[in-house]
Amino acid sequence: MSEPIVTTPLRERASNALRDRFLHEALDIATTKFIALRREAFGDFPQGEALRDRARAIKEATLQRLDAHLETLVANVERVGGHVHFATTAEEARRIILDIARRTGARMAVKSKSMATEEIHLNDALEAIGVTPVETDLGEYIIQLAHERPSHIIAPAIHKTKGQVAELFSRELHRPGLAADPEVLTKIAREELREKFLQADLGITGANFAVAETGTVVLVTNEGNGRMTTSLPRVHVAVMGVEKVIPSMTDLAVFLAILAKSATGQKLSVYTTLVQGPRRPGELEGPDEFHLVLLDNGRIAQIAGPLRESLYCLRCGACLNVCPVYRQIGGHAYGYTYPGPIGILLTAMLNGPASVKDLAHASSLCGACADACPVRIDIPKMLIELRRQVDEERIAPWPERVVFKAFARILAHPVLYRLGARIGRTLQRPFVRDGRIRALPSFFGQWTRTRDLPPVAARTFQERWRDRS
Amino acid sequence: MTVHRLASDGGAPAPRRPAARTTKAEFLARIRGEMAKTRGLFPASPAERPTQPRQRLDLLRRELSERCPQTLARFRSEFERVAGVFHRVASASDVPAELERICHERAARRLIAWPAEELGVAIAPALSAAGIAVESMPHDRPPDAERRRLRALIAEADLGVTGADLAVAETGTLVLVSAAGRPRTTSLLPPCHVAVFDRTALVESLEQVGLVLEAWHDGPAPPERGAAINFITGPSRTADIELTLTRGVHGPKEIHAIFVDGGLGLHG
Repeated sequence: MSEPIVTTPLRERASNALRDRFLHEALDIATTKFIALRREAFGDFPQGEALRDRARAIKEATLQRLDAHLETLVANVERVGGHVHFATTAEEARRIILDIARRTGARMAVKSKSMATEEIHLNDALEAIGVTPVETDLGEYIIQLAHERPSHIIAPAIHKTKGQVAELFSRELHRPGLAADPEVLTKIAREELREKFLQADLGITGANFAVAETGTVVLVTNEGNGRMTTSLPRVHVAVMGVEKVIPSMTDLAVFLAILAKSATGQKLSVYTTLVQGPRRPGELEGPDEFHLVLLDNGRIAQIAGPLRESLYCLRCGACLNVCPVYRQIGGHAYGYTYPGPIGILLTAMLNGPASVKDLAHASSLCGACADACPVRIDIPKMLIELRRQVDEERIAPWPERVVFKAFARILAHPVLYRLGARIGRTLQRPFVRDGRIRALPSFFGQWTRTRDLPPVAARTFQERWRDRS
Repeated sequence: MTVHRLASDGGAPAPRRPAARTTKAEFLARIRGEMAKTRGLFPASPAERPTQPRQRLDLLRRELSERCPQTLARFRSEFERVAGVFHRVASASDVPAELERICHERAARRLIAWPAEELGVAIAPALSAAGIAVESMPHDRPPDAERRRLRALIAEADLGVTGADLAVAETGTLVLVSAAGRPRTTSLLPPCHVAVFDRTALVESLEQVGLVLEAWHDGPAPPERGAAINFITGPSRTADIELTLTRGVHGPKEIHAIFVDGGLGLHG
């Protein structure tokens, strides 16, 4: 249990998001653009489909020997002079990092964008011991200044207008009257953050991959903040979920060929940084100390659990962009660190199935996410599994469980089904308008509040079939 | 169980109870425990690694040299697609003049560079004569005061000149291995980065990069090798404000690649 409990219900969060016109437009533009770029990138890349299969196979193969690969990784990181730490919970991960910060006398930490450190809520913990955390990805920097949370895995501030950013920078950075021009604002951020990079004692990153055979941590960024964070401060701490390990450099080449295409439609992100331990003797730049924190936080339990496949995830965000639900409500409405279809699964993994009793239903199960996923994670299948689990563990409210149980029984028995259809035809009569059921009374009104329902047909297919012969 | 805590630098012991730390053995044991419970897994294997990567790489290099013109053309078009500026000169001795032109267009006065042995061409004499200050990076790690001076210099430089270990045609990517004399910041802190390379750096695809990386890590690393390998595909960019593409957010705003037809090398 690592995340703060969200207080407002999903329905309310979603409604608020739906009423936010700017958010709606921004989401639409962003996701439409990402979808087009991704399609174009794979269109130009005939071997893409085969590489996706290979990438999936590599993830599965790695999981099947996860202990051995992690052992190799640990041995190789230590061989090149790095330290490896093992964190069972988010709390333990924070404790490990805080200890490193204290021991090295750190005052300021620069952070390269990392979902893993978001997941363990590291920033608050650093602040509490007097270490100033500075997010350096421009999007993350914006939302840190605004005291918000990321709304998209790879574009954390897509919910903000340039006007809002200009206002925010003017106020927080004491630079009044900034123009609402991305070029100007980016330049300001460069100046502010360049100072921080040069001052910081601690560089904290996630890891897109870790290559076991060589003990190499791989970071992918477009801005160069990953390079700054791993080059300038005297201590580098990388935090990664255990599932990020891959066996070899040959495997890495496969993932690099599909990751950026899936995320932003680039053939490769601008910077791919391979870091192997601390700086070597003779190197002018690079940290004196390198630490790798291997994070469990619910992942290990899923090796044999129903969410196993979500351990393949590369955090590219492709499933968010194509999801009809995400595209309407955006990332914040999900209420946890990881939004979108994969986010529901990861939230369940980190916080238990009870945390997604509503979220598990925030999907039309259309399958677009599984199609877009570079490693073909069957997200809909696991969402259904989660719904079943939520039902079995009696997490869902009882009327819902009773209704659906009855519905399941009816569907499973031909006699009941025919009877049900006949009763339904009679009962629905007062509610059918122009061939649709648009409003139902009391409890059932929940369903028709935001959508209509096709009525039971006047004659069932079976009846028509009988008449035909 | 309680594990030894790292010694604190700050004299007095911290007023906290020593808390249990997960050990490697416990962590891996839990993973093995879960792995033992898995059922019905389908057979899967990671990518097949080359058994003798160095030999395979030698073979590949010979093949590549035959396709060099096409590979260079592809590199150029991909590099330009990601907003890189491509230059081509006949021989190593033309490199300083090309650099001078780039400096003049940008009114760049302060230049940092890998030393001549690492670049494969001496640029300092000609550029200094033209009034451009060139600071070559040292070959070993100097004392802290000198390091601070150098970092300030790198941070203020107008232009950083490096070599490139690989130029990847499929993606327009330059790959730079850090080492003594090749600090990672040379290609990162200045607003403009210029890389000098020749045909020996050219590869066609990311798949081939995989082979090169295998070969580089086959056997013990040479002692002068650094800890960072950077893939650079165009100038630093972001689209974090309203998806507007903006260059030079943290890294260089501009990237140039100078291809030397006659090859680099101080004695070649």
